[in-house]
Amino acid sequence: MSYNSLTFILFFAVYLVIYLCMPRVWLRQGVILVGSLVFYRYAGRLTPLAILLLTSMIVYAASLRIAKIYDGYEVEKEGLSAKEQAVLFAGYKKKSRKYLWAALALILGILIYTKAGRLLHWTEAGKLSELFQWKAYIVPLGISYYTFSSVGYLLDIYWKKAKCERNYFSLLACMSYFPHIVQGPISRYDKVLKQFHTLPGFSYERVCFGLQRMLWGYFKKMVVSDRIALVTSNVFSAPSEYAGVEILIFVILGAVELYADFSGCMDIVIGAAQTMGVTLEENFKRPFFSKSAAEFWRRWHMTLGVWFKDYIYMPIAMNPKFMKLAVSVRKKSGNKAGQIFSAAIPLGVVWILTGLWHGTGADYVVWGCYWGTLIILETVLAPEMKKWTQKLRIDTTTFGYRLFQMIRTFLLFCIGRMITVTGSLEGFALMLTGLFREHRLWVLFDGSLYLHGLDQKNFAVVFFGILLMWGVDIMQEKMKIRESLGRQPIVLRWFVYYGVIAFLLIFGMYGSAYDSGAFLYDAF
Amino acid sequence: MREKVKKVLEENYPEIDFESSTELVDDGILDSLTMVGIISALSMEFGVVLPYEDIIPENFNSIDAMVELIQKFS
Repeated sequence: MSYNSLTFILFFAVYLVIYLCMPRVWLRQGVILVGSLVFYRYAGRLTPLAILLLTSMIVYAASLRIAKIYDGYEVEKEGLSAKEQAVLFAGYKKKSRKYLWAALALILGILIYTKAGRLLHWTEAGKLSELFQWKAYIVPLGISYYTFSSVGYLLDIYWKKAKCERNYFSLLACMSYFPHIVQGPISRYDKVLKQFHTLPGFSYERVCFGLQRMLWGYFKKMVVSDRIALVTSNVFSAPSEYAGVEILIFVILGAVELYADFSGCMDIVIGAAQTMGVTLEENFKRPFFSKSAAEFWRRWHMTLGVWFKDYIYMPIAMNPKFMKLAVSVRKKSGNKAGQIFSAAIPLGVVWILTGLWHGTGADYVVWGCYWGTLIILETVLAPEMKKWTQKLRIDTTTFGYRLFQMIRTFLLFCIGRMITVTGSLEGFALMLTGLFREHRLWVLFDGSLYLHGLDQKNFAVVFFGILLMWGVDIMQEKMKIRESLGRQPIVLRWFVYYGVIAFLLIFGMYGSAYDSGAFLYDAF
Repeated sequence: MREKVKKVLEENYPEIDFESSTELVDDGILDSLTMVGIISALSMEFGVVLPYEDIIPENFNSIDAMVELIQKFS
Protein backbone atom coordinates (compact mmCIF):
# COMPACT_ATOMS: atom_id res chain seq x y z
CA MET A 1 0.00 0.00 0.00
CA SER A 2 2.15 2.83 -1.32
CA TYR A 3 1.16 6.38 -0.36
CA ASN A 4 0.27 7.13 -3.98
CA SER A 5 -1.89 4.05 -4.51
CA LEU A 6 -5.68 4.15 -4.72
CA THR A 7 -5.76 1.63 -1.84
CA PHE A 8 -3.97 4.13 0.40
CA ILE A 9 -6.23 7.00 -0.61
CA LEU A 10 -9.32 4.89 0.21
CA PHE A 11 -7.72 3.67 3.46
CA PHE A 12 -6.84 7.23 4.48
CA ALA A 13 -10.31 8.59 3.65
CA VAL A 14 -12.03 5.95 5.82
CA TYR A 15 -9.39 6.30 8.56
CA LEU A 16 -9.68 10.09 8.68
CA VAL A 17 -13.48 10.07 8.95
CA ILE A 18 -13.30 7.58 11.85
CA TYR A 19 -10.44 9.51 13.50
CA LEU A 20 -12.18 12.88 13.31
CA CYS A 21 -15.39 11.41 14.78
CA MET A 22 -13.61 10.33 17.97
CA PRO A 23 -14.63 12.58 20.86
CA ARG A 24 -11.74 11.79 23.28
CA VAL A 25 -7.93 11.91 23.10
CA TRP A 26 -7.53 8.27 24.17
CA LEU A 27 -9.96 7.18 21.44
CA ARG A 28 -8.00 9.15 18.82
CA GLN A 29 -4.80 7.51 20.11
CA GLY A 30 -6.50 4.13 19.74
CA VAL A 31 -7.51 4.88 16.15
CA ILE A 32 -3.91 5.92 15.36
CA LEU A 33 -2.57 2.65 16.80
CA VAL A 34 -5.10 0.37 15.07
CA GLY A 35 -4.91 2.35 11.80
CA SER A 36 -1.11 2.26 11.77
CA LEU A 37 -0.96 -1.48 12.45
CA VAL A 38 -3.56 -2.15 9.73
CA PHE A 39 -1.54 0.04 7.33
CA TYR A 40 1.70 -1.77 8.23
CA ARG A 41 0.04 -5.18 7.94
CA TYR A 42 -1.14 -4.46 4.39
CA ALA A 43 1.85 -2.38 3.34
CA GLY A 44 4.28 -5.11 4.30
CA ARG A 45 3.60 -8.66 5.40
CA LEU A 46 2.74 -10.31 8.70
CA THR A 47 6.36 -11.21 9.54
CA PRO A 48 7.72 -7.65 9.42
CA LEU A 49 4.89 -6.65 11.79
CA ALA A 50 6.22 -9.26 14.24
CA ILE A 51 9.71 -7.71 13.93
CA LEU A 52 8.33 -4.21 14.48
CA LEU A 53 6.52 -5.44 17.61
CA LEU A 54 9.72 -7.10 18.86
CA THR A 55 11.71 -3.89 18.32
CA SER A 56 9.06 -1.83 20.11
CA MET A 57 9.15 -4.18 23.11
CA ILE A 58 12.95 -3.96 23.32
CA VAL A 59 12.85 -0.15 23.14
CA TYR A 60 10.04 0.04 25.69
CA ALA A 61 11.69 -2.32 28.18
CA ALA A 62 15.13 -0.65 27.97
CA SER A 63 13.80 2.93 28.11
CA LEU A 64 11.60 2.12 31.11
CA ARG A 65 14.49 0.42 32.93
CA ILE A 66 16.78 3.41 32.36
CA ALA A 67 14.05 5.83 33.47
CA LYS A 68 13.47 3.82 36.66
CA ILE A 69 17.19 3.92 37.46
CA TYR A 70 17.18 7.71 36.94
CA ASP A 71 14.22 8.05 39.36
CA GLY A 72 16.80 7.35 42.10
CA TYR A 73 19.00 10.17 40.80
CA GLU A 74 16.11 12.65 40.96
CA VAL A 75 15.68 11.88 44.66
CA GLU A 76 19.40 11.95 45.51
CA LYS A 77 20.36 15.12 43.61
CA GLU A 78 18.36 17.44 45.90
CA GLY A 79 20.61 19.95 47.68
CA LEU A 80 23.74 19.13 45.64
CA SER A 81 25.72 21.66 43.59
CA ALA A 82 25.72 21.42 39.77
CA LYS A 83 29.17 19.83 39.78
CA GLU A 84 28.16 17.29 42.44
CA GLN A 85 24.99 16.54 40.49
CA ALA A 86 27.10 15.90 37.38
CA VAL A 87 29.30 13.42 39.30
CA LEU A 88 26.23 11.72 40.77
CA PHE A 89 24.55 11.53 37.35
CA ALA A 90 27.69 9.99 35.82
CA GLY A 91 27.31 7.14 38.37
CA TYR A 92 23.67 6.61 37.41
CA LYS A 93 24.56 6.67 33.74
CA LYS A 94 27.07 3.90 34.39
CA LYS A 95 24.35 1.81 36.08
CA SER A 96 21.98 2.20 33.14
CA ARG A 97 24.60 1.74 30.43
CA LYS A 98 24.23 -2.04 30.14
CA TYR A 99 20.51 -1.73 29.34
CA LEU A 100 21.22 0.92 26.73
CA TRP A 101 23.95 -1.13 25.05
CA ALA A 102 21.88 -4.32 25.10
CA ALA A 103 18.90 -2.58 23.47
CA LEU A 104 21.09 -0.81 20.89
CA ALA A 105 22.89 -4.06 20.03
CA LEU A 106 19.58 -5.87 19.51
CA ILE A 107 17.79 -3.26 17.39
CA LEU A 108 20.87 -2.31 15.37
CA GLY A 109 21.66 -6.03 15.03
CA ILE A 110 18.29 -6.57 13.30
CA LEU A 111 18.98 -3.62 10.96
CA ILE A 112 22.52 -4.77 10.13
CA TYR A 113 21.28 -8.34 9.56
CA THR A 114 18.70 -7.19 7.00
CA LYS A 115 21.22 -4.92 5.25
CA ALA A 116 23.84 -7.68 5.18
CA GLY A 117 21.31 -10.19 3.83
CA ARG A 118 20.51 -7.91 0.93
CA LEU A 119 24.20 -7.16 0.28
CA LEU A 120 25.16 -10.86 0.30
CA HIS A 121 22.19 -11.81 -1.90
CA TRP A 122 20.65 -14.20 0.62
CA THR A 123 17.12 -15.53 0.14
CA GLU A 124 14.42 -13.09 1.14
CA ALA A 125 12.04 -14.86 3.52
CA GLY A 126 8.29 -14.55 2.97
CA LYS A 127 7.23 -16.02 6.30
CA LEU A 128 8.64 -16.04 9.82
CA SER A 129 9.38 -19.79 9.57
CA GLU A 130 11.50 -19.23 6.44
CA LEU A 131 13.63 -16.71 8.35
CA PHE A 132 15.26 -19.51 10.35
CA GLN A 133 16.61 -21.18 7.24
CA TRP A 134 20.30 -20.84 6.35
CA LYS A 135 21.12 -17.52 4.69
CA ALA A 136 17.59 -16.11 4.78
CA TYR A 137 16.73 -12.52 5.56
CA ILE A 138 13.77 -10.22 5.67
CA VAL A 139 13.36 -6.46 5.20
CA PRO A 140 10.62 -5.01 7.39
CA LEU A 141 9.04 -1.90 5.89
CA GLY A 142 10.70 1.32 7.10
CA ILE A 143 13.26 -0.54 9.26
CA SER A 144 15.97 2.10 8.79
CA TYR A 145 13.61 4.90 9.78
CA TYR A 146 12.08 3.36 12.89
CA THR A 147 15.43 1.92 14.00
CA PHE A 148 17.12 5.33 13.76
CA SER A 149 14.26 7.03 15.61
CA SER A 150 14.39 4.30 18.28
CA VAL A 151 18.15 4.69 18.71
CA GLY A 152 17.68 8.46 19.09
CA TYR A 153 14.88 7.97 21.61
CA LEU A 154 16.96 5.57 23.74
CA LEU A 155 20.02 7.84 23.66
CA ASP A 156 17.93 10.91 24.53
CA ILE A 157 16.55 9.09 27.57
CA TYR A 158 20.05 7.93 28.52
CA TRP A 159 21.33 11.54 28.27
CA LYS A 160 18.20 12.76 30.03
CA LYS A 161 17.25 14.91 27.08
CA ALA A 162 13.83 13.24 26.64
CA LYS A 163 11.04 11.95 28.84
CA CYS A 164 10.39 8.21 28.87
CA GLU A 165 6.99 6.99 27.65
CA ARG A 166 5.60 4.63 30.28
CA ASN A 167 2.60 3.40 28.27
CA TYR A 168 3.64 0.66 25.83
CA PHE A 169 0.70 1.20 23.48
CA SER A 170 1.49 4.92 23.11
CA LEU A 171 5.08 4.07 22.22
CA LEU A 172 3.92 1.42 19.74
CA ALA A 173 1.48 3.89 18.17
CA CYS A 174 4.32 6.39 17.81
CA MET A 175 6.75 3.85 16.32
CA SER A 176 4.23 2.43 13.87
CA TYR A 177 2.57 5.80 13.07
CA PHE A 178 1.83 5.34 9.37
CA PRO A 179 2.73 8.83 8.12
CA HIS A 180 6.39 8.50 9.22
CA ILE A 181 7.22 4.80 9.24
CA VAL A 182 7.78 4.18 5.51
CA GLN A 183 10.07 7.02 4.40
CA GLY A 184 10.44 9.21 7.44
CA PRO A 185 10.81 11.97 8.45
CA ILE A 186 13.05 10.42 11.11
CA SER A 187 10.99 11.70 14.02
CA ARG A 188 12.08 12.35 17.55
CA TYR A 189 9.65 10.07 19.34
CA ASP A 190 9.47 12.26 22.45
CA LYS A 191 8.19 15.18 20.35
CA VAL A 192 5.56 13.03 18.60
CA LEU A 193 4.53 11.35 21.87
CA LYS A 194 4.03 14.74 23.50
CA GLN A 195 1.57 15.58 20.72
CA PHE A 196 -0.16 12.19 21.00
CA HIS A 197 -1.07 13.04 24.61
CA THR A 198 -2.96 16.17 23.54
CA LEU A 199 -4.40 15.20 20.14
CA PRO A 200 -6.83 18.00 19.23
CA GLY A 201 -10.37 17.51 17.92
CA PHE A 202 -11.67 18.43 14.48
CA SER A 203 -10.54 21.75 12.99
CA TYR A 204 -11.75 22.70 9.49
CA GLU A 205 -8.71 24.88 8.80
CA ARG A 206 -6.21 22.26 9.93
CA VAL A 207 -7.81 19.45 7.91
CA CYS A 208 -7.96 21.73 4.84
CA PHE A 209 -4.29 22.70 5.20
CA GLY A 210 -3.31 19.05 5.59
CA LEU A 211 -5.27 17.95 2.53
CA GLN A 212 -3.86 20.85 0.47
CA ARG A 213 -0.34 19.81 1.37
CA MET A 214 -1.11 16.20 0.43
CA LEU A 215 -2.48 17.39 -2.92
CA TRP A 216 0.72 19.32 -3.62
CA GLY A 217 2.75 16.23 -2.75
CA TYR A 218 0.72 14.10 -5.17
CA PHE A 219 1.30 16.74 -7.86
CA LYS A 220 5.08 16.61 -7.37
CA LYS A 221 5.13 12.82 -7.34
CA MET A 222 2.59 11.91 -10.02
CA VAL A 223 2.93 14.78 -12.46
CA VAL A 224 6.65 15.59 -12.24
CA SER A 225 8.65 12.75 -10.67
CA ASP A 226 6.87 9.76 -12.20
CA ARG A 227 6.86 11.43 -15.61
CA ILE A 228 10.63 12.10 -15.49
CA ALA A 229 11.14 8.49 -14.37
CA LEU A 230 9.87 7.35 -17.79
CA VAL A 231 13.08 8.63 -19.37
CA THR A 232 15.64 8.44 -16.55
CA SER A 233 14.94 4.73 -15.91
CA ASN A 234 15.92 4.06 -19.55
CA VAL A 235 18.96 6.33 -19.57
CA PHE A 236 20.48 5.28 -16.24
CA SER A 237 20.14 1.57 -17.05
CA ALA A 238 22.20 1.99 -20.27
CA PRO A 239 24.53 4.96 -19.69
CA SER A 240 27.00 3.96 -22.45
CA GLU A 241 24.38 4.80 -25.12
CA TYR A 242 24.23 8.47 -24.18
CA ALA A 243 26.73 11.33 -24.33
CA GLY A 244 27.32 15.05 -23.93
CA VAL A 245 24.32 17.28 -23.59
CA GLU A 246 21.99 14.24 -23.41
CA ILE A 247 23.64 13.08 -20.18
CA LEU A 248 23.67 16.61 -18.81
CA ILE A 249 19.92 17.04 -19.41
CA PHE A 250 18.99 13.61 -18.03
CA VAL A 251 21.20 13.98 -14.95
CA ILE A 252 19.59 17.36 -14.19
CA LEU A 253 16.15 15.82 -14.73
CA GLY A 254 17.19 12.91 -12.47
CA ALA A 255 18.08 15.36 -9.71
CA VAL A 256 14.69 17.09 -10.06
CA GLU A 257 12.98 13.67 -10.15
CA LEU A 258 14.55 12.70 -6.82
CA TYR A 259 13.58 16.01 -5.22
CA ALA A 260 10.00 15.87 -6.53
CA ASP A 261 9.69 12.24 -5.44
CA PHE A 262 11.10 12.51 -1.94
CA SER A 263 9.83 15.98 -1.05
CA GLY A 264 6.47 15.08 -2.64
CA CYS A 265 6.25 12.07 -0.36
CA MET A 266 7.10 14.30 2.63
CA ASP A 267 4.30 16.70 1.62
CA ILE A 268 1.87 13.78 1.54
CA VAL A 269 2.84 12.36 4.94
CA ILE A 270 3.30 15.69 6.73
CA GLY A 271 -0.07 16.79 5.32
CA ALA A 272 -1.69 13.50 6.42
CA ALA A 273 -0.32 13.97 9.95
CA GLN A 274 -1.51 17.59 9.96
CA THR A 275 -5.11 16.51 9.35
CA MET A 276 -4.82 14.60 12.65
CA GLY A 277 -3.30 17.56 14.49
CA VAL A 278 0.21 16.08 14.55
CA THR A 279 3.14 18.19 13.36
CA LEU A 280 5.92 16.05 11.91
CA GLU A 281 9.37 17.53 11.41
CA GLU A 282 10.13 19.07 8.02
CA ASN A 283 12.56 17.12 5.84
CA PHE A 284 13.17 19.67 3.05
CA LYS A 285 13.68 23.40 3.02
CA ARG A 286 14.10 24.30 -0.65
CA PRO A 287 17.53 22.62 -0.95
CA PHE A 288 18.26 23.80 -4.49
CA PHE A 289 18.57 27.36 -3.17
CA SER A 290 21.59 26.30 -1.05
CA LYS A 291 24.82 28.19 -1.56
CA SER A 292 27.18 25.51 -0.22
CA ALA A 293 27.37 21.74 0.25
CA ALA A 294 26.99 22.07 4.03
CA GLU A 295 23.92 24.28 3.61
CA PHE A 296 22.50 21.83 1.07
CA TRP A 297 22.61 19.04 3.64
CA ARG A 298 20.95 21.28 6.20
CA ARG A 299 18.06 21.66 3.75
CA TRP A 300 17.88 18.17 2.13
CA HIS A 301 16.71 15.14 4.14
CA MET A 302 17.05 17.36 7.18
CA THR A 303 15.97 14.81 9.79
CA LEU A 304 18.70 12.38 8.67
CA GLY A 305 21.29 15.16 8.89
CA VAL A 306 20.11 16.18 12.36
CA TRP A 307 20.12 12.53 13.46
CA PHE A 308 23.73 12.07 12.37
CA LYS A 309 24.70 15.39 13.97
CA ASP A 310 23.06 14.61 17.32
CA TYR A 311 23.88 10.91 17.66
CA ILE A 312 27.16 10.43 15.76
CA TYR A 313 28.95 13.72 15.09
CA MET A 314 28.48 15.46 18.46
CA PRO A 315 29.06 12.37 20.66
CA ILE A 316 32.36 11.71 18.82
CA ALA A 317 33.42 15.37 18.88
CA MET A 318 32.44 15.73 22.55
CA ASN A 319 33.97 12.45 23.69
CA PRO A 320 36.48 13.33 26.47
CA LYS A 321 39.24 11.19 24.89
CA PHE A 322 38.71 12.78 21.49
CA MET A 323 38.60 16.24 23.08
CA LYS A 324 41.94 15.59 24.79
CA LEU A 325 43.40 14.56 21.45
CA ALA A 326 41.98 17.69 19.78
CA VAL A 327 43.39 19.87 22.57
CA SER A 328 46.86 18.34 22.14
CA VAL A 329 46.66 18.96 18.35
CA ARG A 330 45.59 22.54 19.12
CA LYS A 331 48.53 23.04 21.51
CA LYS A 332 51.08 21.54 19.12
CA SER A 333 49.86 22.90 15.79
CA GLY A 334 47.78 25.96 16.63
CA ASN A 335 44.11 26.88 16.88
CA LYS A 336 43.35 26.43 13.19
CA ALA A 337 44.77 22.89 13.05
CA GLY A 338 42.86 22.03 16.22
CA GLN A 339 39.61 23.31 14.73
CA ILE A 340 40.14 21.35 11.53
CA PHE A 341 41.01 18.17 13.44
CA SER A 342 37.92 18.45 15.71
CA ALA A 343 35.67 18.93 12.69
CA ALA A 344 37.20 16.62 10.08
CA ILE A 345 37.42 13.32 12.00
CA PRO A 346 33.77 13.18 13.18
CA LEU A 347 32.60 14.52 9.79
CA GLY A 348 34.50 11.75 7.99
CA VAL A 349 32.82 9.10 10.16
CA VAL A 350 29.39 10.70 9.66
CA TRP A 351 29.70 10.75 5.87
CA ILE A 352 30.93 7.18 5.53
CA LEU A 353 27.97 6.07 7.68
CA THR A 354 25.57 8.29 5.70
CA GLY A 355 26.81 6.59 2.52
CA LEU A 356 26.28 3.15 4.07
CA TRP A 357 22.79 4.15 5.23
CA HIS A 358 21.83 4.93 1.65
CA GLY A 359 23.28 1.69 0.28
CA THR A 360 25.88 -0.94 1.03
CA GLY A 361 27.66 -0.96 -2.33
CA ALA A 362 31.07 0.60 -3.07
CA ASP A 363 29.32 3.39 -5.00
CA TYR A 364 27.61 4.55 -1.80
CA VAL A 365 30.89 4.53 0.13
CA VAL A 366 32.41 6.71 -2.63
CA TRP A 367 29.29 8.91 -2.53
CA GLY A 368 29.70 9.37 1.24
CA CYS A 369 33.40 10.18 0.86
CA TYR A 370 32.56 12.64 -1.94
CA TRP A 371 30.18 14.68 0.23
CA GLY A 372 32.36 14.36 3.33
CA THR A 373 35.39 15.67 1.42
CA LEU A 374 33.39 18.56 -0.07
CA ILE A 375 32.07 19.67 3.32
CA ILE A 376 35.43 19.32 5.08
CA LEU A 377 37.15 21.29 2.28
CA GLU A 378 34.48 23.97 2.44
CA THR A 379 35.04 24.33 6.18
CA VAL A 380 38.83 24.32 5.97
CA LEU A 381 39.08 26.62 2.96
CA ALA A 382 36.38 29.11 4.04
CA PRO A 383 38.84 31.76 5.38
CA GLU A 384 41.05 31.44 2.26
CA MET A 385 38.01 31.75 0.00
CA LYS A 386 37.01 34.89 1.87
CA LYS A 387 40.52 36.35 1.40
CA TRP A 388 40.51 35.52 -2.33
CA THR A 389 37.08 37.03 -2.98
CA GLN A 390 38.26 40.20 -1.20
CA LYS A 391 41.51 40.29 -3.18
CA LEU A 392 39.66 39.80 -6.47
CA ARG A 393 37.11 42.41 -5.34
CA ILE A 394 34.16 40.07 -5.81
CA ASP A 395 31.04 41.37 -4.15
CA THR A 396 29.63 38.25 -2.49
CA THR A 397 26.42 40.00 -1.51
CA THR A 398 25.09 40.44 -5.06
CA PHE A 399 22.29 38.32 -6.49
CA GLY A 400 24.60 37.23 -9.32
CA TYR A 401 27.16 35.76 -6.92
CA ARG A 402 24.46 34.02 -4.88
CA LEU A 403 23.02 32.57 -8.08
CA PHE A 404 26.48 31.32 -9.05
CA GLN A 405 26.79 29.63 -5.64
CA MET A 406 23.35 28.00 -6.03
CA ILE A 407 24.12 26.67 -9.52
CA ARG A 408 27.51 25.38 -8.31
CA THR A 409 25.85 23.54 -5.40
CA PHE A 410 23.18 22.09 -7.69
CA LEU A 411 25.84 20.80 -10.10
CA LEU A 412 27.78 19.27 -7.19
CA PHE A 413 24.55 17.51 -6.20
CA CYS A 414 24.13 16.26 -9.79
CA ILE A 415 27.67 14.80 -9.75
CA GLY A 416 26.89 13.12 -6.43
CA ARG A 417 23.71 11.68 -7.92
CA MET A 418 25.69 10.33 -10.91
CA ILE A 419 27.87 8.28 -8.55
CA THR A 420 25.00 6.09 -7.40
CA VAL A 421 22.25 6.42 -9.97
CA THR A 422 23.40 3.64 -12.30
CA GLY A 423 23.97 1.21 -9.42
CA SER A 424 27.71 0.76 -9.93
CA LEU A 425 30.97 2.66 -10.10
CA GLU A 426 31.47 1.39 -13.67
CA GLY A 427 28.18 3.04 -14.61
CA PHE A 428 29.33 6.27 -12.98
CA ALA A 429 32.60 6.16 -14.93
CA LEU A 430 30.65 5.56 -18.17
CA MET A 431 28.42 8.55 -17.51
CA LEU A 432 31.28 10.82 -16.51
CA THR A 433 33.37 9.96 -19.58
CA GLY A 434 30.26 10.05 -21.78
CA LEU A 435 29.66 13.62 -20.67
CA PHE A 436 32.87 14.70 -22.44
CA ARG A 437 33.05 12.04 -25.20
CA GLU A 438 30.96 14.03 -27.70
CA HIS A 439 28.68 17.05 -27.32
CA ARG A 440 25.60 15.78 -29.27
CA LEU A 441 24.19 19.28 -29.38
CA TRP A 442 21.99 18.31 -32.35
CA VAL A 443 19.62 16.38 -30.02
CA LEU A 444 18.29 19.76 -28.93
CA PHE A 445 17.07 20.53 -32.46
CA ASP A 446 16.41 17.29 -34.38
CA GLY A 447 13.80 15.82 -32.02
CA SER A 448 15.90 12.79 -31.01
CA LEU A 449 15.82 13.95 -27.36
CA TYR A 450 12.18 12.88 -27.31
CA LEU A 451 12.86 9.27 -28.34
CA HIS A 452 14.06 7.92 -24.99
CA GLY A 453 10.74 7.56 -23.15
CA LEU A 454 9.49 11.12 -22.85
CA ASP A 455 7.88 12.67 -25.93
CA GLN A 456 7.69 16.39 -26.63
CA LYS A 457 4.27 16.84 -24.95
CA ASN A 458 5.45 15.10 -21.80
CA PHE A 459 8.64 17.16 -21.81
CA ALA A 460 6.42 20.27 -21.89
CA VAL A 461 4.36 18.99 -18.93
CA VAL A 462 7.58 18.29 -16.98
CA PHE A 463 8.89 21.74 -17.85
CA PHE A 464 5.66 23.38 -16.67
CA GLY A 465 5.67 21.25 -13.49
CA ILE A 466 9.26 22.24 -12.70
CA LEU A 467 8.44 25.92 -13.28
CA LEU A 468 5.48 25.65 -10.93
CA MET A 469 7.56 23.87 -8.25
CA TRP A 470 10.28 26.47 -8.63
CA GLY A 471 7.77 29.33 -8.38
CA VAL A 472 6.22 27.84 -5.25
CA ASP A 473 9.69 27.35 -3.71
CA ILE A 474 10.59 30.99 -4.41
CA MET A 475 7.32 32.15 -2.87
CA GLN A 476 7.86 29.90 0.17
CA GLU A 477 11.19 31.63 0.83
CA LYS A 478 9.22 34.84 1.39
CA MET A 479 5.74 33.88 2.59
CA LYS A 480 3.43 31.17 3.90
CA ILE A 481 1.53 30.23 0.76
CA ARG A 482 -1.34 28.22 2.24
CA GLU A 483 -2.11 30.88 4.83
CA SER A 484 -2.07 33.58 2.13
CA LEU A 485 -4.28 31.47 -0.11
CA GLY A 486 -6.65 30.92 2.82
CA ARG A 487 -7.17 34.69 3.05
CA GLN A 488 -8.27 34.96 -0.61
CA PRO A 489 -11.96 35.03 -1.70
CA ILE A 490 -13.62 31.61 -1.75
CA VAL A 491 -14.02 31.64 -5.56
CA LEU A 492 -10.27 32.10 -6.11
CA ARG A 493 -9.38 29.47 -3.47
CA TRP A 494 -11.59 26.80 -4.99
CA PHE A 495 -10.42 27.72 -8.48
CA VAL A 496 -6.86 26.93 -7.35
CA TYR A 497 -7.87 23.67 -5.59
CA TYR A 498 -9.93 22.42 -8.53
CA GLY A 499 -7.17 23.53 -10.90
CA VAL A 500 -4.56 21.39 -9.10
CA ILE A 501 -6.97 18.42 -8.85
CA ALA A 502 -7.84 18.71 -12.54
CA PHE A 503 -4.15 18.99 -13.46
CA LEU A 504 -3.41 15.92 -11.35
CA LEU A 505 -6.23 13.92 -12.96
CA ILE A 506 -5.28 14.95 -16.50
CA PHE A 507 -1.49 14.87 -16.26
CA GLY A 508 -0.85 12.57 -13.27
CA MET A 509 0.79 9.22 -13.97
CA TYR A 510 -1.67 6.48 -12.98
CA GLY A 511 -3.93 3.88 -14.55
CA SER A 512 -3.60 0.13 -15.13
CA ALA A 513 -0.04 0.29 -16.50
CA TYR A 514 1.21 2.52 -13.74
CA ASP A 515 3.37 1.08 -10.95
CA SER A 516 2.48 3.04 -7.81
CA GLY A 517 4.77 1.03 -5.60
CA ALA A 518 7.95 2.94 -6.11
CA PHE A 519 8.87 5.95 -4.03
CA LEU A 520 12.65 6.25 -4.36
CA TYR A 521 13.28 6.41 -0.62
CA ASP A 522 10.96 3.60 0.57
CA ALA A 523 13.53 0.83 0.21
CA PHE A 524 15.51 1.73 3.36
CA MET B 1 34.96 35.57 33.65
CA ARG B 2 32.70 37.07 30.97
CA GLU B 3 35.56 39.07 29.41
CA LYS B 4 37.80 36.01 29.41
CA VAL B 5 35.15 33.88 27.65
CA LYS B 6 34.57 36.65 25.11
CA LYS B 7 38.31 36.90 24.43
CA VAL B 8 38.61 33.13 23.83
CA LEU B 9 35.62 33.18 21.46
CA GLU B 10 36.91 36.17 19.48
CA GLU B 11 40.43 34.74 19.22
CA ASN B 12 39.11 31.50 17.75
CA TYR B 13 36.30 32.91 15.63
CA PRO B 14 37.13 36.54 14.76
CA GLU B 15 34.57 36.49 11.92
CA ILE B 16 31.63 35.97 14.32
CA ASP B 17 30.04 38.81 16.28
CA PHE B 18 29.12 37.01 19.51
CA GLU B 19 27.32 40.05 20.91
CA SER B 20 25.01 40.34 17.91
CA SER B 21 22.41 37.91 19.19
CA THR B 22 21.17 36.06 22.25
CA GLU B 23 19.98 33.24 19.98
CA LEU B 24 23.36 32.40 18.42
CA VAL B 25 22.51 28.74 17.78
CA ASP B 26 18.81 29.19 17.00
CA ASP B 27 19.60 32.03 14.57
CA GLY B 28 22.08 29.77 12.73
CA ILE B 29 25.11 31.96 13.59
CA LEU B 30 26.75 29.00 15.34
CA ASP B 31 26.56 25.66 13.54
CA SER B 32 27.60 22.31 14.97
CA LEU B 33 31.16 22.62 13.59
CA THR B 34 31.64 25.97 15.32
CA MET B 35 30.06 24.69 18.53
CA VAL B 36 32.55 21.83 18.67
CA GLY B 37 35.42 24.29 18.21
CA ILE B 38 34.04 26.58 20.92
CA ILE B 39 33.57 23.75 23.41
CA SER B 40 37.08 22.52 22.71
CA ALA B 41 38.56 26.02 23.18
CA LEU B 42 36.60 26.74 26.38
CA SER B 43 37.41 23.32 27.85
CA MET B 44 41.11 23.93 27.23
CA GLU B 45 41.09 27.47 28.60
CA PHE B 46 39.07 26.81 31.75
CA GLY B 47 39.99 23.17 32.34
CA VAL B 48 36.37 22.00 32.50
CA VAL B 49 34.77 18.84 31.14
CA LEU B 50 31.29 19.62 29.85
CA PRO B 51 28.97 16.59 30.02
CA TYR B 52 27.29 15.73 26.72
CA GLU B 53 23.81 16.10 28.22
CA ASP B 54 24.57 19.81 28.75
CA ILE B 55 25.58 20.38 25.12
CA ILE B 56 22.23 21.86 24.15
CA PRO B 57 21.51 25.03 22.10
CA GLU B 58 20.23 26.95 25.16
CA ASN B 59 23.69 26.77 26.73
CA PHE B 60 25.40 28.30 23.69
CA ASN B 61 22.89 30.89 22.53
CA SER B 62 24.82 33.80 24.09
CA ILE B 63 28.09 34.65 25.84
CA ASP B 64 26.20 34.86 29.14
CA ALA B 65 24.75 31.35 28.68
CA MET B 66 28.26 30.00 28.00
CA VAL B 67 29.65 31.79 31.08
CA GLU B 68 26.88 30.27 33.19
CA LEU B 69 27.65 26.80 31.83
CA ILE B 70 31.38 27.08 32.59
CA GLN B 71 30.70 28.42 36.07
CA LYS B 72 28.40 25.47 36.69
CA PHE B 73 31.22 22.97 36.12
CA SER B 74 34.31 24.87 37.34
